[in-house]
Amino acid sequence: MDNTQISILILDDEPIVTKRLKPSLQKKGYLVETFTKSIDAINRFKEKPFDIVITDLKMEGMDGMEFLTQVKEMRPETEVIVITGFATMDTAKESFQKGVLDFLAKPFKLSEIHEAVAKAEKKILDQKE
Amino acid sequence: MKNKLYLYLKELNKKLSIRQKINFAILFEATIIAAISIFIFLTVRTLLSKVKFVEQFDNINIYFLEMRKAEKNYFLYHDINSLIEAYNKGKFVAGELNKNRKVLIHILTKKIYNTLNYTLNNYLTTLQKIKRSPKDKKYTSSLREYGHKLTDLSIHLIKRERKKINKIIHHVTLMILMSLFGIFLAHMLTWRYFSYVLTKKLIKMKKMTNEVAQGRFHEVSLIQSKIKDNVQDEVGIVITAISKMAKELEKREEQLLQAKKLVSLGVLISGVAHELGNPLNNISMLSEGFLTYYDSLSDEEKKKFMQDIQEQADRIKKIVRNLLDFSRQKKPELKVCKLEEVIEKSLALVENQLKISNIKVHKNFPSSLPNVQIDEDQIQQVLVNLYTNAMQAMSKGGDLFIDVFTSDTKNNIIIKVRDTGIGINPETLPHIFDPFFTTKGTKGTGLGLSVSYGIIRQHNGKISVESEQEKGTTFTIELPVYQENKEE
Repeated sequence: MDNTQISILILDDEPIVTKRLKPSLQKKGYLVETFTKSIDAINRFKEKPFDIVITDLKMEGMDGMEFLTQVKEMRPETEVIVITGFATMDTAKESFQKGVLDFLAKPFKLSEIHEAVAKAEKKILDQKE
Repeated sequence: MKNKLYLYLKELNKKLSIRQKINFAILFEATIIAAISIFIFLTVRTLLSKVKFVEQFDNINIYFLEMRKAEKNYFLYHDINSLIEAYNKGKFVAGELNKNRKVLIHILTKKIYNTLNYTLNNYLTTLQKIKRSPKDKKYTSSLREYGHKLTDLSIHLIKRERKKINKIIHHVTLMILMSLFGIFLAHMLTWRYFSYVLTKKLIKMKKMTNEVAQGRFHEVSLIQSKIKDNVQDEVGIVITAISKMAKELEKREEQLLQAKKLVSLGVLISGVAHELGNPLNNISMLSEGFLTYYDSLSDEEKKKFMQDIQEQADRIKKIVRNLLDFSRQKKPELKVCKLEEVIEKSLALVENQLKISNIKVHKNFPSSLPNVQIDEDQIQQVLVNLYTNAMQAMSKGGDLFIDVFTSDTKNNIIIKVRDTGIGINPETLPHIFDPFFTTKGTKGTGLGLSVSYGIIRQHNGKISVESEQEKGTTFTIELPVYQENKEE
């Protein structure tokens, strides 16, 4: 944790979500970048691989499911956390099949995000060892 | 009495099956034909006996003529042998008359038979008298008189019987012709009756099945109660069966409707949850942040937090209000309003979804449109339904064109909603306004367009569809222009 800072990409078309999540995770010591458009996010991911991706599902343009599928294809070791207002059994099942680590329904508490991120971080560190 | 018979027949008509009726008709015709045959047989038999009689009588007549010839010979040549010959001939005829007494009495009547017999006897006695005293002139004249009477009578009888035969032949011919005609007529009548009965009922059945095919189960199911005490024949049984089937279908349709309602309620609820999820989440995050950073926030920042929360609450309020407007079930309340405003409102309802689906809206309204008298909520419901369909047809995004213009006659306002989606295949196109018809599997109730159709019809308008596969679909709605003077 000292030598490598965990990087997180947050994608949600609701600006309030990205605006609130960013400082809260930065305070925990993570490197955070936020996006409200999936196309910007995927372009950035191509330049810089992130350790953790937090994404919404329903969005304008490329939707979250498509986005996380591409992310997992490009870099399987990246852990994905889904946050969505449209939580159904089907979308949850599909997400987990695609290798999503956690699935959070909106509205959520910041602590839930922190727990999910901590879980992802632990998994990444375990794998590195 | 007559009335009673009529009622009885009417009752019988209802009770008998078509098979029984046909059997009855065939039996009836067979009876008539049998009766006519028996009559013809009897007449022909009489005719034969008459002919036989005439033949017999012809013989008798010949004997009479020969008897008279012998008589003449006697008077010419006074030969006693001729006298004996005449007597023998006469005696032979008398024997014949006696032998066939019964038959002759039957044909000639007793009076004529007796006259004939009596005259012949007198003739024979006179002959004997002449034989005994050939010189006596007074017997010769009476002999001639009797002889004359006999030949006259026999010729007259033959003539009479011949006449009778001719008359009978004439009657029989006429009778046969008439019965043939009668049978033909009866045949035609029964044929007409059955074809009428059958076609009438089949047409009724066709109407019923058509109604069933069009989903009007209720009307068809009512027919059963109407005809309960009516026909019990084969067609009647089928009609009752169809009616019962319609009743069952109606029941099933209701059950299905309930099930579909539950499904659509589920879809609605998940939609609402999604719509509300985001603003709720935002409020939750804002308030959490506000509480966490309260001490370090400046007054300006605190204000911003609260403004953001209020904004999100407004968003929820708007969604809830729109949903209420949309789902409220009420009778059409016609109000004079501007169509373009209604269209704008309906678009606002789906704005977010259109944005998510990557669909660009192109509105094309003229600067001034005549007013319409409509139920705003219902027309909005129709339009939203069309937008929803368009969105589903353009899952990869596209263009939604909304054109509004006045018809050439200026009596109608026309709204065209066109998408650039996958289109509808020509086989399904005629069914899209049918209730429960859906191409969306469990995702659609199949009610949207049928409800829309009903609403537009209630507004005295028209809704139609054109579609080309892979190119897009256009729905056209025509609504009558509000005419002020007409209302007053």
